Amino acid sequence: MKKQWTSIALGIVTAIGGFLDAGTIATSGEAGAKFGLGLVWIVLVATVAVILLVEMVGRFTAVSKKTYAEAIREDFGFRFYLLPLASEVIAESMLLAAELGGVAIALSLFTGISWHILFPFVALFVWIIIWRGSFDLIENGPALLGLVTLSFLAGIVALGGIPAQLLPTLWHPSFQQGTVADYLYLVAAILGSTISPYLLYFYSSGAREERWTGASLLLNRVTAIVGMGFGSMGSLALLVLAAIVLQPLNISASTLGELGIAMAKPFGIVGSLLFASVLFATCLGAALEVVLAVSYNIAQGFGWEWGENKKPAEAARFNLVMTIFLLIAVAIGLTGIDPLQLALFASTIISLFLPISLSPFLILMNDPQYLGKKTNRRFTNIAMVCILVLAFLVALISLPLEIITGGG
Amino acid sequence: MLDPQDEVFSIRDILDSQLLTSDGRRIGRVADIEAEVRTDDGLILTYLVAGPQALAGRINTHLRDLFRFFFRDRFEQRIPLSEVTKFGPTLHLRGKAKDYAVGQSDRWIAEHILRWIPGGRL
Repeated sequence: MKKQWTSIALGIVTAIGGFLDAGTIATSGEAGAKFGLGLVWIVLVATVAVILLVEMVGRFTAVSKKTYAEAIREDFGFRFYLLPLASEVIAESMLLAAELGGVAIALSLFTGISWHILFPFVALFVWIIIWRGSFDLIENGPALLGLVTLSFLAGIVALGGIPAQLLPTLWHPSFQQGTVADYLYLVAAILGSTISPYLLYFYSSGAREERWTGASLLLNRVTAIVGMGFGSMGSLALLVLAAIVLQPLNISASTLGELGIAMAKPFGIVGSLLFASVLFATCLGAALEVVLAVSYNIAQGFGWEWGENKKPAEAARFNLVMTIFLLIAVAIGLTGIDPLQLALFASTIISLFLPISLSPFLILMNDPQYLGKKTNRRFTNIAMVCILVLAFLVALISLPLEIITGGG
Repeated sequence: MLDPQDEVFSIRDILDSQLLTSDGRRIGRVADIEAEVRTDDGLILTYLVAGPQALAGRINTHLRDLFRFFFRDRFEQRIPLSEVTKFGPTLHLRGKAKDYAVGQSDRWIAEHILRWIPGGRL
């Protein structure tokens, strides 16, 4: 029974770190501020996709006893493996810089110290946790903190619910503050930030770290739906809050700090602190997961010893990769780019790369060698392919548009 | 003739397989395979190869030459096929991790880099 609870915890932390992070906070906040409820639909599409994906990766690891990275290398060969690896390293290093920046901004909301000064200390803090922390700590710590996300819902209630005049923006987005290019850019970024491939590497490795046998695939399905549903609720709540509070004030939410105003309206200073707590917990959780996911990917792909519960010297190459990858993200973060803009850009790049990072997974999910009789159903395959194509096309169109128009 | 007891593998099954030592350590993956032509036995698989040059060769043959120019075979390691006790996606090796040149970088990194970082010693 304990194993079952830990696997539920695994699902929920993955939801909080994976669903809610700098990327989703940035995209939902900006979506609400710029287009009212006009982007709710794509959050729902992304939620369906990520529920399907998390259910699949749980099923895959439970049945095949393999992690995603191991399976790509063994089944597709070294040359192919380099493609998802490269796309992962490029996109996730930017995303990690954004997550670290998110934590730094959260701390600066608490202390008033500039986030630029706090940034290196945040990176050091994250490094200490991954250097000596156990997998359990990484899994459970941010999960508990992440429950603060529920305060977004309380914020909507405190403001008297969703105003009636906002409802038509569900199907008729208001383009007062944003352009069509912004809209498409956000569609891609929401897909990329929600359907992050690092979830696959983290979740499949985590299940192995916990020696999860996945005796109950039903439990796996429940975890995926509840965990990702929880994450999605937080994301939608922030979007709605931003639509209620920021849009009428003509605040376009171009920094993470500005999003805090959405919570300051209903709850004053407490609201700002609650927002800072959510930002802290979700970005910290995601930062840890991203560092681990990329290092798992590399170590497993190259066949090195790996494991967060081992001492650094017992999995030396794995730990060295974690440290170097973190340093790369620090270098990106030190350029001073605002974490919100960086998160949006990284999410759109991830969206562009989604076909590369996820098609091998879809192929594996249909391979009886790995899954026996538990291969994907046709509905899941069709739904995932449609979402991948949508993500790729929207990212392909919106990236050049956004760069031409100057972004944000 | 093949003995029905024998398992039949294709090269693809061995390439990219995980190398696992008898003390349970993952030391690397198979990057390439060497074979010899023997007058009486025909083509015999002899060595499993690991190293940057072999990996580069998997991408492109010319890349292997370029890598050889830089690394000069220094990091290329071979394990005799006779060391493998069990075949499959994971190749189980007879010896312990310290017996093989493959994966020694793990120990080198632990001894030369990680030991300088607090908490990095074994």
